[in-house]
Amino acid sequence: MSGEKEHMTEGARSKRQRFVIWHRFKKNKQAVVGLVVLCIFILIAVFADRIAPYWYDDQNPSRALMHPSGEFIFGTDNLGRDVLSRLIYGSRYSLMIGFFAVGISVVFGTILGVIAGYYQKLDNIIMRTMDLFMAIPQILLAICIVTALGSGLFNLMLAVGLSSTPQFARVVRASVLSTKEQEFVEAARAIGANDARIIISHILPNSLAPLIVQATLAMARAIISASALSFLGFGIQPPEPEWGALLAAGRRFIRTHSYLTVVPGLAIMAVVYSLNVVGDGLRDALDPRLKR
Amino acid sequence: MGGKLLEIKDLHIHYVLEEETVYAVNGLNFSLEKGESIGIVGETGAGKTTTALAIMGLIPDPPGRIIRGSIMFEGQDVTKMSEAQLRNLRGNKISMVFQDPMTALNPVLSVGDQIEEVILLHNDVSRVEAREKAIEMLEMVGIPCERHLDYPHQFSGGMRQRVVIAMALACNPNLLIADEPTTALDVTIQAQVLELMQRLRKEHGTAMIMITHDLGIVAKICDKVAIVYAGEIVELGSKKDIFTDMKHPYTVGLFNSIPDIESDSKELHVIEGAMPDPSHLPEGCKFYPRCPDRTDVCKTGRVPTYELTPGHIVSCVKFDTGGSKCLNC
Repeated sequence: MSGEKEHMTEGARSKRQRFVIWHRFKKNKQAVVGLVVLCIFILIAVFADRIAPYWYDDQNPSRALMHPSGEFIFGTDNLGRDVLSRLIYGSRYSLMIGFFAVGISVVFGTILGVIAGYYQKLDNIIMRTMDLFMAIPQILLAICIVTALGSGLFNLMLAVGLSSTPQFARVVRASVLSTKEQEFVEAARAIGANDARIIISHILPNSLAPLIVQATLAMARAIISASALSFLGFGIQPPEPEWGALLAAGRRFIRTHSYLTVVPGLAIMAVVYSLNVVGDGLRDALDPRLKR
Repeated sequence: MGGKLLEIKDLHIHYVLEEETVYAVNGLNFSLEKGESIGIVGETGAGKTTTALAIMGLIPDPPGRIIRGSIMFEGQDVTKMSEAQLRNLRGNKISMVFQDPMTALNPVLSVGDQIEEVILLHNDVSRVEAREKAIEMLEMVGIPCERHLDYPHQFSGGMRQRVVIAMALACNPNLLIADEPTTALDVTIQAQVLELMQRLRKEHGTAMIMITHDLGIVAKICDKVAIVYAGEIVELGSKKDIFTDMKHPYTVGLFNSIPDIESDSKELHVIEGAMPDPSHLPEGCKFYPRCPDRTDVCKTGRVPTYELTPGHIVSCVKFDTGGSKCLNC
């Protein structure tokens, strides 16, 4: 990597950095597969209306509960709607909830966690409050939030995001606590850096690895929580197709028409699994300390 | 030279813990002229690093507390400065080289970024100019300029210490504190790093405090030597005073402990006993329990400090000859 002798400009430098990260990421085959699967799902979500063979709410009692065939690859549900189309449209909801809910918890969790970890005096106040929220089962907390705010996509994301914030605060705090004891933090203080600078350029980048892993896992959990909330009627309202809602709706026919639950279940699993391996790969690639 | 750069007077630093109080530094006095270098020698736990941190205003509070004394740097008392004033001082006027270059650099920033950071913090320059200066600093410490984009893990220990030195000298400080800068390095690299520090220091007229427990290093690069024991300076003098005319029994013991390559003796000479626990210091002379020349007078009361010859100061009752001036009687 130190082969190039020419003086590099800023642009070339960030380009090279990105190349190095990609190069390291590429070595992890599982992660690459995960990324591909994830990209496919994202593309499906974006182009749902072009790919889906039917409108997601095309009801037709005459073709209700048809087993998978050439016409309906994943069969139809009890109202005669094409499962494949519902699945394709549903990916929009599930992925969006996954990304945004986790985004919310990452932002709030990181802010709270960093403050708690760095400023000893605020630690107790923040973390005990977080403990208070952690004592409430996550799904109950989410239900409370949704009930208070009303149902709907945005409120669902907010509920799922806020209810998993304490976990992020906890992970970030633990990570900050160990990073801030490192000598380079003291060295940064010794060159005259202020708190904000120490946090942003020295502590945070060194505390990110667990956060990334936590985020990917949480994204998976968020998709599942959102599904659970939809199932309970607090989340996405029918007839909107959401994977969890599909799963719940198919539950009644699990003995005779198992594809109704298996297919959305597999979709959730594929996304969740991909997110996990991508997270793992990213963690390894982003960490310059891990030499290979 | 001329004009005191740093003057530490009667410095007391305690770490106040719930169960006990650790008396880390107990009445330290020394001063440093511009461009001068002093070696602070002592065992682990003698309060060397605490002193260094105090000069930078970096004593962690709680539990650390400066109980008494002053640290005058360029006429201003560091212990009374605000956080903003201290930030302006650190890295700019006073900078520090840490013991372990493996951990003193941020692993996720390239070395160029890290040197650039110091420059940007203390100088009103653009990023491009700061980067140029950073590269210049790297070359000055003998690292090829194209390596400024590399990360700390891509360097060897000796090169990392060079990076740390480049960082420390980037703003042309008046005082460089080196806290055992070569302990983590092997002997050949140690010599290179010391030579580099010495050369750069001479070029820039930087004063230096070298904290070490290696008398060889002191002999090589220091003008003055302070021997520290249990948070006090027991003997202070020019390099010549200490190396050829050591007075304090502890100093004598230290020098005797250096193995002589030509002697055939099977056993190494040691100073009996161990340094007292800094949370339970003995009354009277702190070296009393281990001192070969102890008398009952040493057990209690204050240890007198004598200036034997100008600049050569010893804290021991042994030198109460009447002729020499007592500094604290």
